[in-house]
Amino acid sequence: MMRFVARRLLAMIPVLLGVILLIMVTIDLIPGDPAALMLGQGATPEMVAKLRASLDLDQPLPVRYVRYIARLLRGDLGRSVREGRQVNTEIADVWPATVQLGLAAMTLAVAIGIPVGMLSARRPYSLLDNLVRVVSLAGLSMPIFWTGIMLVVVFSLWLGWLPAGGRGSWYHLILPAVTLATPSIAMLARMTRSTMLEVLREDFIRTAQAKGVATRGVMVRHALRNALIPVVTILGLQTGQLLGGAVLTETVFAWPGIGRMLVRAIFARDYVLLQGGVLVLAVTFVVINLLVDLSYAYLDPRITYQ
Amino acid sequence: MHSTRRKGGIGMTRARLGLLASALAFVLAAAPVSSGPAAPVRGGTLTIGRPVDAVSLDPHFETTAPGAWIYQMILEPLVTMGPDMRIRPSLATAWQAMSPTRIRFTLRRDVKFHDGTPFNAAAVKFTFDRAFDPRSISRWASLAGPIKGVEIVDDFTADLVTTEPYAPLLRSAAMVFAGIVSPTAVGRLGADFSRRPVGTGPFKFEEWRTNDRITVVRNDEYWGPKAHLDRIVFRVIPEESARMIALRTGEVDMVLVPAPAQLATFARDPGYTLAQATGLRVVFIGMNLTRSPLSDVRVRRALVMASNRKAILQNILEGAAGPSDGILAPGVFGYKSLGLDTLYPHDPARARALIQEAGFRPGPDGIMQRDGIPLTLTLITARGRYFKDAEIAEAYQAQLREIGVRLDISFLEWATVFTMVRAAVLDAHMFVLGWVTTTADADYTLLPMFRSDQVPPRGWNTWRYFNAEFDKLVDQARVNLSPREREELYGRAQDMIARDIMFVPFYVTKEIALMRSHVKDFVPHPIEYNQGFQYVWIQK
Repeated sequence: MMRFVARRLLAMIPVLLGVILLIMVTIDLIPGDPAALMLGQGATPEMVAKLRASLDLDQPLPVRYVRYIARLLRGDLGRSVREGRQVNTEIADVWPATVQLGLAAMTLAVAIGIPVGMLSARRPYSLLDNLVRVVSLAGLSMPIFWTGIMLVVVFSLWLGWLPAGGRGSWYHLILPAVTLATPSIAMLARMTRSTMLEVLREDFIRTAQAKGVATRGVMVRHALRNALIPVVTILGLQTGQLLGGAVLTETVFAWPGIGRMLVRAIFARDYVLLQGGVLVLAVTFVVINLLVDLSYAYLDPRITYQ
Repeated sequence: MHSTRRKGGIGMTRARLGLLASALAFVLAAAPVSSGPAAPVRGGTLTIGRPVDAVSLDPHFETTAPGAWIYQMILEPLVTMGPDMRIRPSLATAWQAMSPTRIRFTLRRDVKFHDGTPFNAAAVKFTFDRAFDPRSISRWASLAGPIKGVEIVDDFTADLVTTEPYAPLLRSAAMVFAGIVSPTAVGRLGADFSRRPVGTGPFKFEEWRTNDRITVVRNDEYWGPKAHLDRIVFRVIPEESARMIALRTGEVDMVLVPAPAQLATFARDPGYTLAQATGLRVVFIGMNLTRSPLSDVRVRRALVMASNRKAILQNILEGAAGPSDGILAPGVFGYKSLGLDTLYPHDPARARALIQEAGFRPGPDGIMQRDGIPLTLTLITARGRYFKDAEIAEAYQAQLREIGVRLDISFLEWATVFTMVRAAVLDAHMFVLGWVTTTADADYTLLPMFRSDQVPPRGWNTWRYFNAEFDKLVDQARVNLSPREREELYGRAQDMIARDIMFVPFYVTKEIALMRSHVKDFVPHPIEYNQGFQYVWIQK
């Protein structure tokens, strides 16, 4: 087990090296000279040259790549171009907000999506099941942006129950978390339902029923554990979705997280900050997928890690 | 109103803004009129919603509104520009031009920075030395002109010195970027100063939660009229509709950069007040004189006459911007109305005639052609870099069609447009661009945009306009210390531009703030970041 984890952690290194390279190349492909754009109207060529040099922009890509990795090994993500602040500090500032929002959305997705999927699978094609299928399809198809604005119109503007944006009390967390969770809830409900239906047709379930285990016991103890394996895989993939959705949700709700930071970095052409932010997101994603792989062993004794 | 009525030195203080000041009320809607003779109430919090967070609260790192809106209340320059665009005393009580390269400032005594450091000539010198340190990349240094530095005369007298005569110098000293910083605080905080600035202003810095809110509190030791509000909170609400909803729910009392489409609705509602000032940014379609047939002035005049700017202003801009009559906004020193509406009125028939004078004939498809080649022009624009840029380009395309000119529009990402217009060779006939006269002095626009030696990448002479006579005028105006003579020189320069016309101006931006009616005495300002939040009080 430990050896497996160590191996997986080692395998992360080439992935991250590739990610860094990809970010750098992509930023190079964005049209325009970041230095000239940052300085904007009225900047002299000398100023632009000075800024370019201070950012290593006058160096070829391989040189910049090696220098960046060297700094990274010292735990230094560089300084934000626009503000001169350490990118580490900048990310440390906004990171908690995104983690809080992501965890809240994830919790909502699991706590609502999986039970709803199970209820649906209990009596396929019943009224409840059909309702769940239609509603979840809607939840999957609504753009996050629109969901967010609609929730604000109803709960803040009409009813006046919840704040329209910002971060402060727990009340502030409700609308953004629900918005972000909506597609994931729908996805998990549909996934749980279909895997449940598959598992319920298996022989061991029939055996359990024949033994006289109550329906609930069969559903929860025998079927759910097996049905969850593909659901967990989806959960891992949904994390990526959540990170992407966080950018939009944070914008709609003025939630001061890493997604907002990235959007701002893009518009300000602050590519040092952008690089740091994307890197942190990539690491997060890789780590979460490792956790997902590890949880398979718990769910399915047939899977062992050598 | 808020300024001390001390008369300064001679000459520059009496700078007249010319007839314009009276003819054109820059501030279209003055501070909201209170119902009845209500006296200001002390206390309360003003919460403001705005689209983006500050980058930094240090003028050396940020010269854009999101940061400047806030540090202009914390840091004070030696002099300031009032909403009437006249120079007023601030940390300097008087000033005098000693020579073409030297202004002497008499400093206010008994002023303390928020950290207790006394304000004196040493602090002024420290501030300017820091800004013009060749090792720092300070945007403000590039706006300020050929400043050499500050020389201390005595504790409360300081000279601002330039390397060459530079007439707009006093305006440089009046920009919010020239706010005087506490030397002790900079020494103590280092790079962190940009997150916790210390100045002498009516408000003190309290807290900054990145991407969420910045809070300032009243400075009870302020040397001037103390503020009424206890604190001001600047919240970040990027989404336009979310910002307007927050105003409706009362989560914020004021919105900056409100949604243009909703302005009319709010303006009709007595629960809200709209305050606006004509800004300093002009948005125009420029022409590239190196591309045939735009080298022919008759064609350029036809292109202006084909434009129905009034219709665009009414139907596309919906009152969120004002009419423009030149490359300068009315609030800029040296502005002269070009009289484009009389010189080149909207007249498609006359425009067609001019195109024909230039040797074109209508082709079978209605498009003008010369030697069998149809008159097709290319235009580059971004989408959303300037308010309604793409929509204006599309409307103009239809208007040109009426005079038999085909316009092919390329919608590009802003970075691409920027790179193209900044390149040595411009590969398009026309382009949509906006230009803000940051210093509020004509020198900042007429010189880099039209002087012969300012062709990109060096400057912004994007039309490639070469006129030696014009060059002489802007050079003279740059070193002449008589405001009246400068206005006259800039007037002549602008008449040349009007004669040789190389752009179609579409609008001047407006600085708009929308607030709930209990917010009183907000003073709008033509300069984007000089908005008068510090005078506000809240009616209980």
